[in-house]
Amino acid sequence: MVFNSLTFVVFFACVLALHALPLPWTTKKINLAVASYLFYAAWNPPFVILLWVSTVVDWYAAQGLVKAKRPTSRHAWMLLSVIANLGMLGYFKYGQFLLDNFTSLISAVGVAYHPAHYDIVLPVGISFYTFATMSYTLDVYLRRAAPAQNLLDYALFVTFFPHLVAGPIMRPTELVPQFAQPRRATGEQLRFGLALMTLGLFNKIVLADSFLASAAERVYDSDKIPGALDAWAATLAFSGQIFCDFAGYSTTAIGAALCLGFAMPDNFRFPYAAVGFSDFWRRWHITLSSWLRDYLYIPLGGNRHGARRTYAALMTTMLLGGLWHGANWTFVAWGGLHGVYLAAERVLRARFANYRPGPLAFVALGLLTYTLVNVTWVFFRAKTFGKAWIVLRGMAGQNDAAKPILATFSLFSVAAIVGGILLTHWLMRARTLESVIARAPAAAVSMIWALMAFAIIIAQGAGSAFIYFQF
Amino acid sequence: MPDRDARQTAADRPGVAQPVPMRPVPAQPWGRILLGTVLLLVLLVAGWEEYWRAYGVRPSIANTFGLWSMQRRRIDAGEGAATVLLGDSRLYFDIHLPVWERLDGRRPIQLSFEGTAPLPALEDLAADPKFTGRLLIGVAPDVFFSGFKFRAAAVGYAHKESPSQRIGQWLSMHFIEPYFAFDDPDYALQTVLARQPWLVRVHQRLPVRKLAMTESDRNTYLWSKLETDPEYRTIVRKIWLNHMQRWDDEPPPAAALKNEKEQIERTAQAVAKLRARGVKVLFVRMPSDGAYLEFENRKYPRARTWDALLAASGVPGIYFADYPELQGYELPEWSHIKHSDAERFTGELYKVIQRDFWGPNAPGVSAKASAAR
Repeated sequence: MVFNSLTFVVFFACVLALHALPLPWTTKKINLAVASYLFYAAWNPPFVILLWVSTVVDWYAAQGLVKAKRPTSRHAWMLLSVIANLGMLGYFKYGQFLLDNFTSLISAVGVAYHPAHYDIVLPVGISFYTFATMSYTLDVYLRRAAPAQNLLDYALFVTFFPHLVAGPIMRPTELVPQFAQPRRATGEQLRFGLALMTLGLFNKIVLADSFLASAAERVYDSDKIPGALDAWAATLAFSGQIFCDFAGYSTTAIGAALCLGFAMPDNFRFPYAAVGFSDFWRRWHITLSSWLRDYLYIPLGGNRHGARRTYAALMTTMLLGGLWHGANWTFVAWGGLHGVYLAAERVLRARFANYRPGPLAFVALGLLTYTLVNVTWVFFRAKTFGKAWIVLRGMAGQNDAAKPILATFSLFSVAAIVGGILLTHWLMRARTLESVIARAPAAAVSMIWALMAFAIIIAQGAGSAFIYFQF
Repeated sequence: MPDRDARQTAADRPGVAQPVPMRPVPAQPWGRILLGTVLLLVLLVAGWEEYWRAYGVRPSIANTFGLWSMQRRRIDAGEGAATVLLGDSRLYFDIHLPVWERLDGRRPIQLSFEGTAPLPALEDLAADPKFTGRLLIGVAPDVFFSGFKFRAAAVGYAHKESPSQRIGQWLSMHFIEPYFAFDDPDYALQTVLARQPWLVRVHQRLPVRKLAMTESDRNTYLWSKLETDPEYRTIVRKIWLNHMQRWDDEPPPAAALKNEKEQIERTAQAVAKLRARGVKVLFVRMPSDGAYLEFENRKYPRARTWDALLAASGVPGIYFADYPELQGYELPEWSHIKHSDAERFTGELYKVIQRDFWGPNAPGVSAKASAAR
């Protein structure tokens, strides 16, 4: 079920009530695990089996790793986990993509092949929980962590509903120890958790869905040719939409976990105030970028084997990171473009090692970063390269046949909301939300909280899915 | 004071096991804050509700895909022999289900959707062997023959609706929609803001305003504000005129004609499937009036559209203008019959259907019965 639904409101109230009952800790953990399976089954009950497969495979792989005496056995157990998880991901997420590309390839050499359509539904959140379970086995393999002490704690780590379908991508060392001792939220944690959930849902329902999504759709999903204003407005709208959608989900998830007494890591740190692309990736989808760094970039050699190997590892990581987001070459292009940016930044940092920007140059570099990030969002949002090219040409003012697409209200909404997001990110770039709230007058916190909740109610969100569910 | 270092993230700790995260709660009187929030929220929501009630809005069940799916599932749940109403907003608003039930003994299944040609749902029913009943198909020329499908996605939704969506639909129609008048898409925050007099940059199709009240089994009728508020009636008429204007401009005639033929052919194919397994099918051209009727007659002349549809499908039809008892009703905004008249219209239409088509003494039935004897 999605967080922005009545079903979740009732579900969450039941879970909170159950968790507050004076029951043994093991019973409470079983309750949480059952609730998490129900949460997942509410989309499509049979997909719970995949969750079990992923859980069981990695549980036994980690047990095997601990007992293995020889390096080859350790390798074999690790490979079992990687192959099982990536195999599942490949089958459900990339099957049609691989088939389409294979068909195109062989038809290019003159072989006519018309396979049946790969009619398989993508299980919600499969990219997230396969990465979470793989990190468990890989941490044990890399001797960074000991395996979980019991299957219940491990299964709850995989399925814990706040992070299950769209992250933050948890590591076992972050969550499993929290299940060792009884946990129940304090009154303060419960109230702050509810405030965080309101903030997250405000981002998703009000800003992303109600105001920004339609501006992006009108340009990206229509046949009309956009001029500079429409192309930029739609792309900026998407930059705001995807942030509010995904950061909104993460904030809601963090708040939900906190209401139950559990801590989850930050997933976003005001990314549109990033100065440079390494800074951007330390702020955007932190749990994915650090996962890719720890389990892909560093094993590929990282920056320990000379410049050429570093750039190869960087590009490979970013290209695969792009592909993780979706089975389409446009996502690969998005990742590749970020890889090129990161590589270029690395070159410039080496060449101008002593350069320290002044305040104005700092802001200018930040705006340049944001502008270039927006160029990458074009490939992320466009369904085809043709559409991406049309929008990019529009952004460059090169579409002669362009006609106005967006209404004045849309332009105004995008300017106000995206302008507000940018300003907030810059004001908050070296702060945390908690520190700002701690300094604010209590009445102001109350008022802002109530206004956000009111906006959620009167925006009448229709329970639309979060963008990242498809990944 | 910058405090970024107060909380590190995984981005700051490469290549190591990540520790249990820190999640501090800001030092604030959270009990008082929550109380203040709840009080203010209650005041704001009450004010918003009162504002829309003062405008004349009353709670109505939301016309969602979930609500449509509930009715569609009745066919799978043992009511396959029922009468199904399938059309656009005219069949949807103008047929009063309680009147039909009183006359027929059984309540029909209402599967019409506003601004949506019946073809997608018709093809869906044709592919469903569980449906063996009677089918009344509404024909509003501009929607039917253009294949306009504003809400046709309901068909796919009904087949893929998740357990969570079903529960959400049930909760909403029992605990939210019957009590809050503002819970209507026409009064959603962004819709209300977009409706303000902004500088016109793009000549877009004007969005349709709230027109009807819906009950939990999709019994729907024209909102009384259309009858009582001349200003609101004018707004809606202007919206129809705006749509007609755009319809006049696009698409080009050749493409429109080709599309019309395609709609008729696909309808005929679906109807043939249904009739092959004994489903009784009947078309009905519901009443329209004023500028709307003039537009339909000009843009979709009867001989090219209605007559061609009946000829291609081999199915009978009721054209309101051919029956005195189906004329003379009040259509405040030219397209839908006012509530009280819709009740009377439903009774008259039912009588015509029974007399001429579906009743035991209908000419076709009598002829078949005679032939059988």
